[in-house]
Amino acid sequence: MKGGKRNRSKTAAPYHLRLFVAGEEPNSRKAKETIKKLCETHLKNKYKVEVVDVLEDYKTALENNIFLAPTLMVISPPPPVKIIGSLNDTRKILDALGLRESEEET
Amino acid sequence: MGEKKEGRNGILKKSLTHIQGLDSILNGGFPTQRMTLVVGEPGSGKTVMGMEFLYHGALHGEPGIFLGFEESAIGLRENALTFGWNFGFLEKKHHLFLMEGRIDPEMVVSGKFGLKPMLSVISGKAKDMRAKRIVLDALDVLFRLFDDPLQIRAELHQLNHWLSHSGLTSLITLKPKESPPGVLFQDFFYSMADCVIHLDARLFNQISTRRLRVIKYRGSSFGRNEYPFVITEKGIRTIPITDFELRHQPFGGRISSGINQLDLLLGGGYHRASCILIAGEPGTGKTLLVSTFAQKVCRKGEKVLYLSLEESPEALIQNITSAGIRLKPFLKNGKLLCMGSMPEATGAEEHLLRIMDIVDKIKPHHIIIDAISACERMGGKPAAFEFLMRLLNFLKERGITTILTNQTSGSKAQMEISGNGISSMVDTVILIDYIHKEGETSRTLQVLKSRGSKHSNQVRELRIEGDGIHILDVYAGPKGLQTPRQVKEAKDPIELLQRIKGGKK
Repeated sequence: MKGGKRNRSKTAAPYHLRLFVAGEEPNSRKAKETIKKLCETHLKNKYKVEVVDVLEDYKTALENNIFLAPTLMVISPPPPVKIIGSLNDTRKILDALGLRESEEET
Repeated sequence: MGEKKEGRNGILKKSLTHIQGLDSILNGGFPTQRMTLVVGEPGSGKTVMGMEFLYHGALHGEPGIFLGFEESAIGLRENALTFGWNFGFLEKKHHLFLMEGRIDPEMVVSGKFGLKPMLSVISGKAKDMRAKRIVLDALDVLFRLFDDPLQIRAELHQLNHWLSHSGLTSLITLKPKESPPGVLFQDFFYSMADCVIHLDARLFNQISTRRLRVIKYRGSSFGRNEYPFVITEKGIRTIPITDFELRHQPFGGRISSGINQLDLLLGGGYHRASCILIAGEPGTGKTLLVSTFAQKVCRKGEKVLYLSLEESPEALIQNITSAGIRLKPFLKNGKLLCMGSMPEATGAEEHLLRIMDIVDKIKPHHIIIDAISACERMGGKPAAFEFLMRLLNFLKERGITTILTNQTSGSKAQMEISGNGISSMVDTVILIDYIHKEGETSRTLQVLKSRGSKHSNQVRELRIEGDGIHILDVYAGPKGLQTPRQVKEAKDPIELLQRIKGGKK
């Protein structure tokens, strides 16, 4: 697990994301890369991403009712939302994070 | 797949469902550590079957997981409680675990995804609680999220592979015709599952009936009929009609009908554990005849269940007092249970189960069903026939004397007299009839059939007096059958004249 690795700010990050992956299967790997890139581009120093591998930590998945992978949970800012899939559509993610208006394209 | 892991002596292991009747249809339950598929429309009872399977498993040392894609855990707990199943308690003891697989409507889909977490979560939880059973309820809902046929197929294979190696006995429920595009979704499950069961609820003559059918059961025999079932306040119940090879009790000794002259006609009374049918038009005295019997045996301290399908018990008890029959004391001392039932209130299945429950509870020596002609109102002739065949079979197995009345219409077709085609189950038939002669109507009684005994087939007169039923000889004269009075009057025309003028009663 690589939970909480990218916590740059000392206080609570305004963008708190949790990404559930299933080991190294292609969709999960893709999602991990996408989210890394997206955060660095749009949310520099303002984000925290936890990565949970459901194959190793089923309990966290169960607590969050995760049955599909990859799943990205937006914990903050509210409202909480789940995005499933390899995250191939960046706009949808920015939408979910409330960043769509200001940032049109990556 | 599962075969290699299991295959001890090639004997298929089975897990009891403990659902009444289902285990005998399945010859012992669902296939252990394999997949059973239950297919049915919404409301056909799939979820209840899943819950009951887990509930009984949990009580019998086989913990289980319920993963529902449609209902919330709270909803399931509430539903379970209506059947008296305390899921909360079992969850606390780790005998049961409810997972919510409902799809969040706010969820965003972006790109491809897979089912691995589901399998990982189930595996982890199953290991922790040593689960033996799992229900995946409304799995079709989950697969609606996928749109690529190739991927769906891959996921299905993965799921099947995982299930067959999980060591869990699984039950998957699906709605029919709910296939994601481009995939023979149902076909896949039909071929992968070791046991496939169809449930359906349909309306027949305005009365809802539920049916269950086993489509396949790999490596096992099973009941191949369509079985009616009901969802009672205790869960699913079904009665397989496998007992037609007749495990009936032999007749017992004789028991008085309560009327000496009738006992003589019958060659010594009714046979215990036999089935007696009393047929006749309305008002011929069928109810009086059977309540005379009830009074007689209750006096001897034997128990009677009186099933009144036409009159309320109160009205019945009151009406028969006019012929001097008093059953009230026996209601009080518990020798008689009088049960009124509106035939159209529920389907034949529920009537049947209700009666069977009561019979097993109070264990009567004798049962009276007044009148079987009313059974048609439970949902048509076929339903009535099935109801009676199964009920009579059930009673015969328990050695209970059964007295049926049947109301015939004017036609007196043999079919009606013998009662809905159940004649093979009936041992004795008594016909009460009217004869109209010389300005009066008299009742006649005749024993048409009586298995296992000599009986008179002569016609007698049946008279209803203030002190009960009397049976008198009749005479075959030049004018046909004559009652004793008619014979007397024939000899003495003045008496006849007096009566017709209204002088004599």
